[in-house]
Amino acid sequence: MKIRALALALVLVVGCDDKGPEKAPTNTTAEKAEPGPTAPDKTLSMAELTAAADQVALVPSPAEMQRSLSHAGVGKTLASMVQDRDISMKVENKDQLAVRAGVVLADLVLTVKESPKERTLARLTTLGVALEKLGAGSDVQAVITDLKKEIDNGAIPVDDLVKEFDELSQVMVPELEYEAGEWVVPLIQAGSWLEGAHLVSGAVVEAGKFDAADNLLRQPEVVEYFIKYVDREGADKAPDEVVAKLRETLTTLKTVASKPSLGEADVKTIHDATGAVLSLL
Amino acid sequence: MRPCGVMRTQTELQENLLTKSIFSVLPALLLSVAVAAPSGALAGEKEAKTCLDSKIWNGYNEGWAVRTAVDGTLKKGEHRVYLVTLYAGNEYVIQACGDNNSGDLDLVLHDKDGKEVSRDQSDDREPKLTYKPTRTDTFYVALYAATLAGEASDAGVAMAVTYK
Repeated sequence: MKIRALALALVLVVGCDDKGPEKAPTNTTAEKAEPGPTAPDKTLSMAELTAAADQVALVPSPAEMQRSLSHAGVGKTLASMVQDRDISMKVENKDQLAVRAGVVLADLVLTVKESPKERTLARLTTLGVALEKLGAGSDVQAVITDLKKEIDNGAIPVDDLVKEFDELSQVMVPELEYEAGEWVVPLIQAGSWLEGAHLVSGAVVEAGKFDAADNLLRQPEVVEYFIKYVDREGADKAPDEVVAKLRETLTTLKTVASKPSLGEADVKTIHDATGAVLSLL
Repeated sequence: MRPCGVMRTQTELQENLLTKSIFSVLPALLLSVAVAAPSGALAGEKEAKTCLDSKIWNGYNEGWAVRTAVDGTLKKGEHRVYLVTLYAGNEYVIQACGDNNSGDLDLVLHDKDGKEVSRDQSDDREPKLTYKPTRTDTFYVALYAATLAGEASDAGVAMAVTYK
């Protein structure tokens, strides 16, 4: 990955979590150290698992949704269903901005192989504007700028671009949690997940493959995770149409996801509820 | 643990002398100053991340894609736990790398009720397990520093979930 190599030549990878233990200097010599004595296998209790659980990896990516859709036998590609639209980032409410960024990120990742370069460049530019307004560090902006140059010059093969966008969306963007507030990443993830769920539910309806709905769309823990951040203390209390609709949609999705199994009506409810938020963007 | 791939310039790195308490007092500084951590630990985490990166990106040649990648530091006996949603039909590889201070790192996958469903079988610092869920659900991934090398006090580690 050319951009990665370039970036690694210029920068050092450093910490971005203040939740970890205090770190003492470690021996980083090149020679291989012998492992210590074997310890017995450790099994964590449910209480230990719950107490320690980090939810940074809870939300599936849009590309992962596409993969699961294919495995479920639905031939429709999500990329073909992504709307060609301009999502404005001229909004003041940061929650709404994060959701918008998530939708653009999802569209970017899903359409990387199909979109003309002008469209990809436009989405990258929009994403960059959103991340800057959310307080992203200059490193993310530098990566976006480099990516745009590579794409514009036709210097990056599409397979490498897939990797770059995966790294951007699944590895780098979570950095925002530490620079702009811990709520930003979950709301970006909410935007991406809403777009993915809307497209997947649309594909299921179109294919009439409702027996696959449980495995494709029923994710109660994910919905709960988003609700926790939308309703967090300290959230912007100013009236905001998109955030209000998002809250309403998540409540609907929570009700649907609480069912033991999803049917045709539930899939259509998911499609309509997610679409109601997306139509406001 | 933090997401891998967060990059800072060397100049910024050298300025990383702020403590976490300052972060809470002066949040605005977060925009211009990188996260504090001793350079030794960072080097260990970088070593672990470099190891894991090669596994992640080489996997793309075989159809794998990255779901998440995180890194950090563990003392002996410490663990980190991640809640993940895994799709039925997709195949997942969960793998980790430890730095030179690592001994035996263990990866354990638990279902949402806490029951162990898979565990890596190695006694080294590059554990790996594969899992293909029969139904979409949430799972717990536990990364555990069972042993460290020699007299090491902690180790840099990195963990990733990939899928295809």
